[in-house]
Amino acid sequence: MMAFLPPLWAPVAACLWAALATVGFAILFNARGVDLLLAALGGALGWGIAAPLRGSGGSEAVACLVASMGIGIYAELVAAIRRRPASIYIACGIIPLVPGGGMYFTMLEYVRGHDRQSLSIALATLLTAGAIAVGLSVSNALSRLLALRRIGARIGRR
Amino acid sequence: MDRSFEPTNPEDVLLLAADAARILLESGSETYRAEEAAVAVATALGGAEAECYATPTGVTISFAGIDGRIHSIVRRIKRRSMHLERVALVDELARDLAAGRKDYEAASASHERIERFPERGIALSSGAAAAGAGFFTLLFGGAWNDALVAAAAGALVSRLPPAMAKRKLPDFFSNIVAGAAATLFCLAAHRLGLAANVDATTIGVLMLLVPGIAVTNAIRDTIAGDLVAGVARGADALMSAAAISVGAGAAYWIGRTVAGGMLR
Repeated sequence: MMAFLPPLWAPVAACLWAALATVGFAILFNARGVDLLLAALGGALGWGIAAPLRGSGGSEAVACLVASMGIGIYAELVAAIRRRPASIYIACGIIPLVPGGGMYFTMLEYVRGHDRQSLSIALATLLTAGAIAVGLSVSNALSRLLALRRIGARIGRR
Repeated sequence: MDRSFEPTNPEDVLLLAADAARILLESGSETYRAEEAAVAVATALGGAEAECYATPTGVTISFAGIDGRIHSIVRRIKRRSMHLERVALVDELARDLAAGRKDYEAASASHERIERFPERGIALSSGAAAAGAGFFTLLFGGAWNDALVAAAAGALVSRLPPAMAKRKLPDFFSNIVAGAAATLFCLAAHRLGLAANVDATTIGVLMLLVPGIAVTNAIRDTIAGDLVAGVARGADALMSAAAISVGAGAAYWIGRTVAGGMLR
């Protein structure tokens, strides 16, 4: 069915699926009200940053590093405006980046008897998970340096 | 509101501070946030000096009360499940106390409310799990029928861990069962011709189980300097990932060899 639609639809649809999947997880994580919508935007933002980076030949880990930095800064801003912990928006927003596929293929290659492929996928998966955490720490440090909290609080007061 | 200087019983303050930290840790907050909240509650309600040491499995608080004696309490954390709204509410309570916007009575009342804050119902959380699994399958390149299979599997699989936790089975075991159930369901659907892209379908369902948040929180805790908490969370995440892989791998192996090649 995708074939009948113009090519621009595919990336937009991907961000939409990422947002909707994030809403599902946000409900499972017991986020409430407006936070669900804001979490979904974070999920779509992360996927929107990561997908083109992956497509242009970057590694999964680099794409996730940059995307999680974007999510982190978004989360700090929203957190300041809403006066709530940033981790609410971070926990939901990074869900689409979580390397579930990497874990699956690690297992799959191992069961198929391809130990070497399994190990190399496992390493890439671990690296991706690390990249997400590092990206979040970098954005946390950046938001402190740039005083995002104060900027966000000023927006929130209006 | 002016701050009433009616001295609060140090034991009550200690219990409130410990509960604040416990709720935060149970609900999946960062370790430093739990420690800071406990210290904020204790100092705001009349502790001369408060210290809190938290790990994912327990919290210790000690503080010198206004009576000049040192009080302390240990709280063990046994169950952990994400509850972001509780994190936000306790965080708000701690900030209100620190800013003097709440006294002990008001804080105690909102603590009661947070403690009794309802979980989501079975229907809604199953629906959310179905939506999460289904949309992830679409995101990973699955077609509509793959997504529907993943949604059905997701709703089913999301009920397994709580059902097994009720029977006091360890998380390790319930992760093996859930991983196996998810994979078997998707392989069977593939065999019946319901799902074409078995990889996308299975990954979509497994996303519900994968300890992604636990891994990132482990690394973030470690970076933040909470080394013991970080390592503990890392071990937790590693064990769940291993259990899910064992379950999924066993199911895959059964599908390939015993059932005569569910995968072509």
